[in-house]
Amino acid sequence: MRAERLTVRGFRNLADLDRELPSAGAALLGRNGQGKTNFLEALYYPVLGRSLRAASDAEAGRLGGPGFQVEVRVAGGDGPDRRAHAVAVGFQASTRRKRIAVDGADVDRTADAIGHWVAVAFLPSDVGLAAGSAVERRQYLDRMLSLADRGYLVALTRYRAALAQRNSALRQGRPELAQAFDPPLATAGARVVRGRIAWSDGAASAFRDALASIDELGEGELTYRGRSELADADAWGPVLHEARAADEARRTTTVGPHRDDVALAIGGRALRPYGSTGQQRSGAVALKLIELATLRDACGFEPALLLDDVFAELDRERQRRLAERLLTGRQVFLTAPRRDELPENLDLEVWTVDGGVVR
Amino acid sequence: MSAIEELITELARLPGIGRKTAQRLTFHLLQQPAEQVGRLAAALTGVSERVRACTECGNLTEEQPCAICRDPRRDPAVLCVVEEPSAVSVVDRATEFRGRYHVLGGRLSPLDGVGPESLRIAPLLERVDRGGVREVILATNPSMEGEVTATYIQQLLAGRGLRVTRLARGLPVGGDLEYVDGVTLQHALSARQEIG
Repeated sequence: MRAERLTVRGFRNLADLDRELPSAGAALLGRNGQGKTNFLEALYYPVLGRSLRAASDAEAGRLGGPGFQVEVRVAGGDGPDRRAHAVAVGFQASTRRKRIAVDGADVDRTADAIGHWVAVAFLPSDVGLAAGSAVERRQYLDRMLSLADRGYLVALTRYRAALAQRNSALRQGRPELAQAFDPPLATAGARVVRGRIAWSDGAASAFRDALASIDELGEGELTYRGRSELADADAWGPVLHEARAADEARRTTTVGPHRDDVALAIGGRALRPYGSTGQQRSGAVALKLIELATLRDACGFEPALLLDDVFAELDRERQRRLAERLLTGRQVFLTAPRRDELPENLDLEVWTVDGGVVR
Repeated sequence: MSAIEELITELARLPGIGRKTAQRLTFHLLQQPAEQVGRLAAALTGVSERVRACTECGNLTEEQPCAICRDPRRDPAVLCVVEEPSAVSVVDRATEFRGRYHVLGGRLSPLDGVGPESLRIAPLLERVDRGGVREVILATNPSMEGEVTATYIQQLLAGRGLRVTRLARGLPVGGDLEYVDGVTLQHALSARQEIG
């Protein structure tokens, strides 16, 4: 999948831009703080209608500005219907309203815009996928599976809405009102758990293979950690009943996929507490390779790839291997502070980013 | 605050009206003859003074009970439960429904501080318990909260010997499949019906 044009207005520190994108992608060079990552963030915005950095819409607008507008025009040939599309996200600061449009027509639900522009982003902070808390791995799962599976996104949205209402009632000390939200919580939650378990069944061996392919010693293990019986909506009743005392005491919902995790290990040692920095980085790279493969399999085409300064910390040999694996056969946008930190033999147009201006 | 500023501020509070539109409306009103503006002001006062919730069904009315509740040709045995008064006129105009209504005044939403006691659920149960009701149609909105509200009421009505029904969800008539959103299509698929 290839983006052929990007239009950005009022976004972060970026000067308004409207430019053609090369079909192979581009390398963006520039000192820190000039806007390289902001460019990638803008490009990614229409993928899920939100920031890849988990920033709020208001934060993504230019400081003190009226809001922003980002539009990506996607070339035909890929995508659900192989037609060219334009996906736009607009945010108005005064009303705090966000509009997502496909081919100029507003969509009611984000789910209806998903899949028209598919990309995978890899940021330095993604090492948190292996080193960070369960929240980051759940975000990883939810982002990837929402793009791979529309039913998952619909269920996830509903699950979050039901969970927010249920938790609000629990906070108010009204368990009987909280219980009214159990039916949508169960049906939507079961669908979310099913989607995650189905993914982790295939991802276990993919994680092992991905780590081997980047020369990590020790076998990789990936397991979904959560209550797998909750994949069945009928199982929720007894489980929520059992958790009732805990829910009331802690004034929040204590069971469900919002508490689950993906356990990662290399050579039998859990990555988060015991992995070396290098192993944690490899674990994160492996998860990103799986994300690319998951989306490719689900969508039937290669997603675009956005790499934010991820080569800097690798030695030349690892850079070469990763570049070989990632940079061919798909559109790639990558950033680096200096040209000598780019992988060798990189065949991309080089742009510079200076003070928010992309040249 | 000047009179102009005050009007702009008040108009901008209305749903769907931003500050720019409020300004345009204000300057438009200022150009109108005084008696026309007076009629608008009187209409606004009249609405706020005379219109009340129907003591029986909760619909908006100037008389107690409302015209629908008084209409002897309407079937008192069938109650259509809706979230807001605006839904009454929508259902009434668009369908051949000739029963009576019950307006809840919202839907369950703890996030907005709305629990069952904030809705007209107790008056609904009273109406049912007074007898003469055979069927309750739950016509809350097809949102997550609307469905939760419907299920909540359905559980309260269980065991009262009533028929309790819910509006069907599916494809709009006269539409094109291509333009139906995915969620609706999924519902329509799961609730598909046998033909012939």
